Amino acid sequence: MNEADYKELKKGGMMRQAEAGFFSVRLHVVGGRLDTKRLRAIHDAAVRFGRGEVHLTTRQGVEIPNVRQDSLASLKEFLAPSGVGVGVCGPTVRTVTACQGCKVCPSGVIDSPELADAVDREFYGRPVPHKFKVGISGCINNCMKAEENDAGIKGWIEPRWVGSPCTFCGVCQAVCPTKAITTSSDGDALIVDAERCIGCGDCIACCPSGGMGEKSRGYRLFAGGKFGRMPFLGKKILGVLGTKEEALAAISAVLEFFRAHGKPRERFGDTLQRTGFPALETYVKETTGLP
Amino acid sequence: MTTPLLDITGDVCPMTFVKVKMGLQRIGPAGKLNVRLKGEALKNVISSLKTEGHRIAGVEKEGELFLLEVEKKHE
Ligand code: SF4
Ligand code: SF4
Ligand code: SF4
Repeated sequence: MNEADYKELKKGGMMRQAEAGFFSVRLHVVGGRLDTKRLRAIHDAAVRFGRGEVHLTTRQGVEIPNVRQDSLASLKEFLAPSGVGVGVCGPTVRTVTACQGCKVCPSGVIDSPELADAVDREFYGRPVPHKFKVGISGCINNCMKAEENDAGIKGWIEPRWVGSPCTFCGVCQAVCPTKAITTSSDGDALIVDAERCIGCGDCIACCPSGGMGEKSRGYRLFAGGKFGRMPFLGKKILGVLGTKEEALAAISAVLEFFRAHGKPRERFGDTLQRTGFPALETYVKETTGLP
Repeated sequence: MTTPLLDITGDVCPMTFVKVKMGLQRIGPAGKLNVRLKGEALKNVISSLKTEGHRIAGVEKEGELFLLEVEKKHE
């Protein structure tokens, strides 16, 4: 088998192992969720085609290692009826990671698995200049490390000081983890610094009077993060996106921007180092009309 | 009757909330309890109290400390 054939196999989720003639087969998993039917099929496939073990990847995926090159096709066929597909590798949109989100986690603000499924449906495996990872955290606790992804999402609560019921008790200012809330110079209003605010909603949850209210809750997008040899944390772009559809539109525009400006084998964060983040933000705002 | 005072300035989470809960058990519905606490305990104490249906009827700032007037839920 020549290098070009290996590359093709790799794109299709078959990773050549150090041991000659063997492959580790990456499976298509979204947000680390697998029903028991699919788990059983994976179990059976690992017994039949591998050495009876699986590898859980750092990004919530599953690989079946130690599969002989000549069994790759039959493994794929074996898994197909259960709904387990083979994954992708190479310069594509990769496995979407997600926490359990607001339907399971009491801290959750958004339904992370729901968005993960939608992102997967729309973008999984799509070609881009270099691998592109999407990770979704249901809230500001950020268990899925949004900023380590090329596009990361966090559930976000944006506060707004409503005024009249406020007794200026100081609780919101004391609980704010980033000291984003200040008193106006004449002492008759509170100001929330949107740049400092991390969207935790603690000020709202703790306000005794209802003086601190919720302006919006939704999805916050971070772009350009990566890990590996040269780690870089993604940066927040756009305002709080109110719906899943808006989040999808924003990610779609981010991918278009990457395809237009990224050089082959250049991670998105490096592209953004060249173009600057404002160029991305302007492009996404103009093409989507989002805030 | 004077409102009882519970001082939890020397406690850390989760004892802060446990003590407030015990304090509230000793008073009747709609009764009042004053709680003195440090700024870092505010978040957990207030958000748990609100979730359980109690009301923060008043807040006074005492330098770095806070004095909460907690009104136990009616029923
Ligand atoms: S990120 Fe938030 S919603 Fe998701 S698991 Fe962590 S705490 Fe829960
Ligand atoms: S916690 Fe509520 S009442 Fe107290 S200062 Fe903040 S907004 Fe005003
Ligand atoms: S949402 Fe959180 S970070 Fe933002 S102002 Fe309120 S307490 Fe501070």
